[in-house]
Amino acid sequence: MFQNRSSFGVRILVATITIAVLGLTPTSAASGKPQRIISLSPSATETLFAIGAGSQVIAVDDLSNFPTNAPISKLSAFSPNVEALLNYKPDLIILNADATKAIEVKAALEKLNIKVFLEKAPKDLSQVYLEITALGRATDNLASAQTVVTTMKGKIRAAIKSGRQAKKISFFHELDNTLYTATSDTFIGKVYKDFNLTNVADPAASADSAGYPQLQSEYLIKSNPRIIFLSDAQYGESLATLMKRPGWNGISAVSKKSVIALPEDIPSRWGPRLVDFYEFIAAAIGKIK
Amino acid sequence: MKKLGSESVISPIWNWKITAASFSLLIFVVFLAISFGPVHLEFQKIIRTLFGLPGGLTGQERTLLIDLRLPRALLAVIVGAALATSGAVYQTVFRNPLADPYLLGAAAGAGLGATIAITSAGADLYSLLPIFSFFGAILAVLVSFFISGKFFAEPNSLLLSGIAVGSFATAVQTYLQQRNSSSLRPVYSWILGELTVANWQKVTWSSIYIFIALTILITVSKQLDGLMLTDEEAYSLGINPNRLRVIAVIAATLATATAVSASGLIGFVGIVVPHLVRGITHRVTNRGLLTIALVGASFLVLADLGARTLLSPAELPIGVITAFVGAPFFLVVLRKKRLVAK
Repeated sequence: MFQNRSSFGVRILVATITIAVLGLTPTSAASGKPQRIISLSPSATETLFAIGAGSQVIAVDDLSNFPTNAPISKLSAFSPNVEALLNYKPDLIILNADATKAIEVKAALEKLNIKVFLEKAPKDLSQVYLEITALGRATDNLASAQTVVTTMKGKIRAAIKSGRQAKKISFFHELDNTLYTATSDTFIGKVYKDFNLTNVADPAASADSAGYPQLQSEYLIKSNPRIIFLSDAQYGESLATLMKRPGWNGISAVSKKSVIALPEDIPSRWGPRLVDFYEFIAAAIGKIK
Repeated sequence: MKKLGSESVISPIWNWKITAASFSLLIFVVFLAISFGPVHLEFQKIIRTLFGLPGGLTGQERTLLIDLRLPRALLAVIVGAALATSGAVYQTVFRNPLADPYLLGAAAGAGLGATIAITSAGADLYSLLPIFSFFGAILAVLVSFFISGKFFAEPNSLLLSGIAVGSFATAVQTYLQQRNSSSLRPVYSWILGELTVANWQKVTWSSIYIFIALTILITVSKQLDGLMLTDEEAYSLGINPNRLRVIAVIAATLATATAVSASGLIGFVGIVVPHLVRGITHRVTNRGLLTIALVGASFLVLADLGARTLLSPAELPIGVITAFVGAPFFLVVLRKKRLVAK
């Protein structure tokens, strides 16, 4: 409480001095290279640090755990609070378009002369590259952002080349043990598609417009995927737990032990670490023969 | 309509033919349910497998039937029977046609328990979800009882404390959920209810508790009719109304908590089925509890068949079906009932 009041006082003082001495409106402070960036998106945080904007970042949301030197805070990316953001005196905020009331929050911040970069979930790789470039432009790091994109493109191309299957191999991507999954319409589904893998969830694509249907156990057993990717490994699922599920012993991914635990976070971070994800998938399917 | 009135005077209080018919209906829908799925199984072979005759299903097809379809259909039977019976009993105990098994905070308590298990990041608690939701439901009902103090001296104060406890638990649950946005989808799909993870273990333990609870309820069903009278009248019939209410609510809560922990929050069964049975049979007596249980079981088996087939090979949350089919059906029954009353 006390701290808030004192910082409020400081803020008034600064504002008064700015107006009186420079004779300028506070709006002009918002132009030029942003120096006080808040990132409310784990993906954007990774991008900002990769394109050399890390030193301009003063706070990141509570889920931005990478890179480890990012100034993690208690700010919520999911339900952003305008007042809590103001406390940091930011000049640029990266806001996720899927956050609660994102449009209203953006309007409120812009009214207070704070620039807002609205980050939309990318639908494919080309949108990721566009977003990285856009973040470069917004933070005045365009050249290095373009370098990052070029490097990513090269490495991802190499990963696809090394891992791409000549013959189609079927797979199942498990989100949780009630068999929610992702079809080829989703971002992650497109990654698998790049490797010429066949998604057993695609016949269920019409069940969910966002591409995340829930499959029936019976159908999964029948479709008999050759590889199973577990994105719920952090919740305790593994080859051993899959073997205990009724009828799953007959699935070739299980009987041939091609069950791959995906690393935490990386598959849902749409930034420079996508390279790691592509390389991980390439290495994993390279071992399956 | 006069005919109905005179008929109920001559006919006995409960017609056992209706119960037998409901039982046949249940057997029929269970066979129907295990015959359909994304994989085509020959009906003749299904029958042969079930009765242990030669020439049945083998290998993977056998596993599909025995370990996937059968436990799922049986779980629907158990949960449907539990929710429908509990609903009917709550309606009698509270003398309120809108009462449902989730009235005293059982749903919200179970929801809170499940959310705690889901959001507790570690792998350890996630597997304990059924236990957490079971105790969440029981605890919420117990707290409602304690807050209202006088048990059933004033049924309305118990109802109100149930609503308060429910809102409180929902608030905590929403808070936890907001703090762990990654758990939104699992919590949401649990709340809509699902039988997707049915297995024999689940069928076994839930059938034990629910069998005990339903046996108690059906045993006291004759006396439950006394609760529809004034308390003085009930006493004169040799019934201790408050003791009976406590027994009934405890048994109904045990059944509900077990059902919820096995399958999430499946709505509308507890209201639709009792009214449906009463509407069709024109009888309000609790001697129809067994029939209500059988019809509830059939209703949920059919709803789950819909959940499995409408979007096949994807799943649809069963709660969507029970409400989507249940609500209009309910309105038709209510309308008929009103016409009969006229």
